[in-house]
Amino acid sequence: MTPGVRIQNMGGAQAVILHRPHPNVVALQRQLAAIGLQSTECWPDLDPGVMGADFVFFDADMGHDDQFPWPAGAPPMPMIALIGSEAPGRIEWALRAGAHAHLLKPVLGHGVYSALLIAREAFTGRLALGAEIAALKARLEARQTIVRAVTMLAARGKTEDEAYAQLRQMAMAWRVSFEEAAGRVAGRSMPGKDGDDLCIRR
Amino acid sequence: MKPHIDLGLLFSRSGGYALMSEASRRGALDAISVCNASPDCAVAFVPVERDPRGNVDLYGPLCADIFTTSRARHVVGCVTSWSRKEVIPTLEKHGGTLWYPVPYEGFEASDHVVYTHACPNQHLLPLLDWAMPQFGRRAYLVGSNYIWGWEINRLARERVIAASGRILGERYLPVGSVEVGRMIDEVRATRPDFILNALIGPSSYEFLAAYHALGLQDPHFRADRCPVLSCNLTECELAVLGDAAEGLIAAGPYFQSASGWPKGRSDFASSFEAAAFVAVCELARLLSHTAGAMDQSLVQLLAGDQAPGGVVDRQTHHTTLPLLIAQVRRGAFNVIQQRAAVAGDPYLARTRAAAPAARPLRVVT
Repeated sequence: MTPGVRIQNMGGAQAVILHRPHPNVVALQRQLAAIGLQSTECWPDLDPGVMGADFVFFDADMGHDDQFPWPAGAPPMPMIALIGSEAPGRIEWALRAGAHAHLLKPVLGHGVYSALLIAREAFTGRLALGAEIAALKARLEARQTIVRAVTMLAARGKTEDEAYAQLRQMAMAWRVSFEEAAGRVAGRSMPGKDGDDLCIRR
Repeated sequence: MKPHIDLGLLFSRSGGYALMSEASRRGALDAISVCNASPDCAVAFVPVERDPRGNVDLYGPLCADIFTTSRARHVVGCVTSWSRKEVIPTLEKHGGTLWYPVPYEGFEASDHVVYTHACPNQHLLPLLDWAMPQFGRRAYLVGSNYIWGWEINRLARERVIAASGRILGERYLPVGSVEVGRMIDEVRATRPDFILNALIGPSSYEFLAAYHALGLQDPHFRADRCPVLSCNLTECELAVLGDAAEGLIAAGPYFQSASGWPKGRSDFASSFEAAAFVAVCELARLLSHTAGAMDQSLVQLLAGDQAPGGVVDRQTHHTTLPLLIAQVRRGAFNVIQQRAAVAGDPYLARTRAAAPAARPLRVVT
């Protein structure tokens, strides 16, 4: 993914079109060229160069999961489904394959630019959401460690609130996250073991 | 005897932007008579005219009427982007082509449209790049409330901010509205370095008259200090503006008596006539070279065109145009900057971003 392509400037971005040779592909390639993208077409297998592409257009009518060299539904770039038959099964498959936007066939002289922008927005949105969820999960998993660290500090004659505040001070002094500081405190009581091990042993 | 080919003309002969559409229509009719009289031109055109009278809802139906009541497959016409977008579904349905001969805001490359006037890399961006070092980077933006105004001002905002400039205000008026008081008050209060005018028709005339009056009261608002810039103002609207036009700066591919474009002629009244003339001549050239060309789609016509002299880019359907910057002095445009011809780049894919200007130094007191 080339970062920071401005909203109105796609100049130099790469698109791969996974579709059998067809006038729809010709029309799509002309639009892409006008918008400033370099495009390559392939069928039935994706070119290995696809991993460097900024966008993938794929045929929702004849496509199947084995065509994509990444885990099902987790494409590393924005994907745009080329939909001819609006049969529910095909739309369901296109969504499962990870479509961020779609274009209806026949491909006419419009719709390509908005599909590109919408797909890119949806893709970066999903990426950001995924990262946020992973961070929240990690914090959730660290909860036990925090409880343990606070308990250990409180065992030295502090109230729970004071222990909590002390842990926060430590995190600030060490310039690490609260969870990371808790891991260090909890790990310190058992040399050679880190906080996670302590939690698991409980 | 040459084959006679029906050619649709879809220009509003009344309504708010009639001066522009009349100019375009004159250019198209001029080209038709030149083609018809010329032994070098293999076809003769028969104009099939419809007049939407400035009513945007009539463009689609009247365009369909041209296709269903005549053999025309090509139409020269439309002035506003709004009307162009209205006819595109009709063109797709009938396999027709629109030759669109006026400046517009870009971000389109329809299979069914040829764009023979300038898009932003051929008017707005070079105009701003030239104006900011001359006058300063504090801009006030005005526009008509539809896609031309919105997109021109959006691009201008981006360009000005990229050059470390500021947008002091941005105001829109409905097409046809002359309620310019608020805009003028804001301009007076914010004292920008230049004003970008993306108003059309009566709104534009009223704004320019009021701004001219403001300049008579306060020298800051005169053309040498805070000019009005425009990407679609041409000679065809100078008469109605009168003294209010003095000092206006406009960008375009042609101003009266400029040579270079269109090839071999420098006697057009404005770039609107010129771009419509080029559209009809290019169509005649395309239709002359292939048997059965009359029934081909635009994409087929361009793909099959092997003859020299073609002006339409097959990928973008835009053309290569020179860039002139001109200022109104004593009632006529004087060219003050001329730049090399550049290919239309509707999605700004090949246009380099402006080099970020150094932060302007300010006097600290």
